[in-house]
Amino acid sequence: MITEQLLSIKHLKKSYEISSGLFRSSGIVNAVDGVDLDIFPNETLGLVGESGCGKSTLSRLILLLEKPDSGEIIFSGHDALKASTQELKALRRSMQIIFQDPFGSLNPRQKVLSIIEEPMRIHKTDTKENIRKRAYSLMDMVGLSIQMATRYPHEFSGGQRQRICIARALAINPRLIICDEPVSSLDVSIQAQILNLLTDLKNELGLSYLFISHDLSVVGYLSDRVVVMYRGRFVEIAAAKDIFSSPLHPYTKCLLDAVPTLKNKGKKIEVKPADTAHGMDYGCDFFARCSVSTDPCSQSKPVLEEKRPGHLAACFNKA
Amino acid sequence: MANANPENKNLLTIKDLHTHFFTHEGIVKAVDGVSLEIDKGKTLSIVGESGCGKTMLSLSILRLIPEPPGRIVGGEIIFDGIDILKLSKKELRSIRGNRISMIFQEPMTSLNPVFTIGSQIAEAILLHQKSRASNKKQALQIAAKMLDLVGIARPEKRIHEYPHQMSGGMRQRVMIAMALSCRPDLLIADEPTTALDVTTQAQVLDLIQGLKDELNTSVIFVTHDLGIVGQTCDDVAVMYAGKVVEFAAAKDIFDNPLHPYTKGLMNSVPEPGDSAKNKRLTAIPGTVPGLKDMPQGCRFITRCNAKFDKCEEMPPETTLGNGRKVMCWWYV
Repeated sequence: MITEQLLSIKHLKKSYEISSGLFRSSGIVNAVDGVDLDIFPNETLGLVGESGCGKSTLSRLILLLEKPDSGEIIFSGHDALKASTQELKALRRSMQIIFQDPFGSLNPRQKVLSIIEEPMRIHKTDTKENIRKRAYSLMDMVGLSIQMATRYPHEFSGGQRQRICIARALAINPRLIICDEPVSSLDVSIQAQILNLLTDLKNELGLSYLFISHDLSVVGYLSDRVVVMYRGRFVEIAAAKDIFSSPLHPYTKCLLDAVPTLKNKGKKIEVKPADTAHGMDYGCDFFARCSVSTDPCSQSKPVLEEKRPGHLAACFNKA
Repeated sequence: MANANPENKNLLTIKDLHTHFFTHEGIVKAVDGVSLEIDKGKTLSIVGESGCGKTMLSLSILRLIPEPPGRIVGGEIIFDGIDILKLSKKELRSIRGNRISMIFQEPMTSLNPVFTIGSQIAEAILLHQKSRASNKKQALQIAAKMLDLVGIARPEKRIHEYPHQMSGGMRQRVMIAMALSCRPDLLIADEPTTALDVTTQAQVLDLIQGLKDELNTSVIFVTHDLGIVGQTCDDVAVMYAGKVVEFAAAKDIFDNPLHPYTKGLMNSVPEPGDSAKNKRLTAIPGTVPGLKDMPQGCRFITRCNAKFDKCEEMPPETTLGNGRKVMCWWYV
């Protein structure tokens, strides 16, 4: 691709120390373990993986809410980790997040209009009147009627609240929006409305999305490219249609097989449970759950390499 | 759906059930004349958006409706020959948890935070399954076995942990283990896998399927995931605003949905291969009307794209071939 990346991540690492409780003995968890990633302007990048694989940590790192142990985050040419406080504030305006739970992410004591205005007030984008005007036009843009401006979040349904969250995220003209499971708490009919809205906004405003979800059909529908994450590493990256039609990594195959569909009626799904597999110091992380593992898999970690044009996978098996 | 010998085959029959809530703003008809049957060893799924009365229907079966404000005002629920609505509290207790178990939607609030999960599962086993466990030690062993079954690693350690030490998915699995530990005749699962990863979900569905095969358990699956319905269920009841608007075998409903609402639900889900670039999802406009301000006539009239003048009146239930029922003027 010739277009310049909007966001570029290089060898990003973040580990957490676990001192007590559940895994008293284990010590360190590598939540994000050396990942490289590019997001291009006006691209939707889907990120899938089981809970605990590091998806949320990665999004927190990109939003600069947490400091990585090592690595680089380049946002439209600026090194975000070396930025001064002033520059950081400007960078933060370029990225926003939409959370999974529209019930927990809106202040119950704030009116809708004030919720949508808040990011603009914080970043002092404009005069008071213009901010108000923009808040109204944002409400219109996401399909909320202007009469609702003085209501409180509890008066809205789940889908409408997610629209409020989207309006708030759009308020300061971000270029990248991280969508962390934005539709998984919604009914299917409402989910379709929100997915259509996100598509329209992307086309109209030229946004990029990092779309995190565990619903593979939604990710497949919305994304241009898909990244599959497992235990803090990327195991497969490819165009959405390739991931679904010809997955290369056994983990991706296992995720796809696990999706219930009408076709699979009565079919037993061979998936080894997640907790039984422990991360290994050497060898492939997926070794313990893999059904096609061979000798080299237990010896060293496979690296992400291009198996077909534009289709990367980290697996020793031949494509 | 008339059975030649209902005593043998049929497990649960719901006849014209009405569950109302009496609020100071008026009567809310959460379940409004629902009739359903489920045979032994079969899986029935109830689908519909939130607020359409799915959960209230499943709570009614166990008489768990909060009373007041709610009350079952009419109809019959016959479970294996017993009229549940006529049972005393004590008789009801011998059925709840033991012969009919329920997996609730919210694993966070359904577990007691001050007891270890092992003792909570053991309590259910000791209460209902005296033949399998006569003391707490045995019950805890069964509890550990159940946790292993639902895919929780190191169950013998985990039974001594408290709910707050587990993740949401694990708590959900604990709930499932608890519900299954009593080997019920009927399992009511209210959105049991919504919070889980696809791989864990696959295991849980497998587990429920296994229980069905082994013990001939019937399952009522309340869900909005049509994929799950397709994979696991025999029959489907589509609910809208307190009524069952379509009832059919799962295959029929996917091959040929009849009610405009069912069609709308099917079209809302992206199919494999669909992409935002080439296909727009056809969402159902609007939301479920509040149960307090129901439109006149067909309940779906406000969101239907196939309505005509007849729809101002409530459509009757029309029975088509193959036990299929639909409530829409187009099929009268």
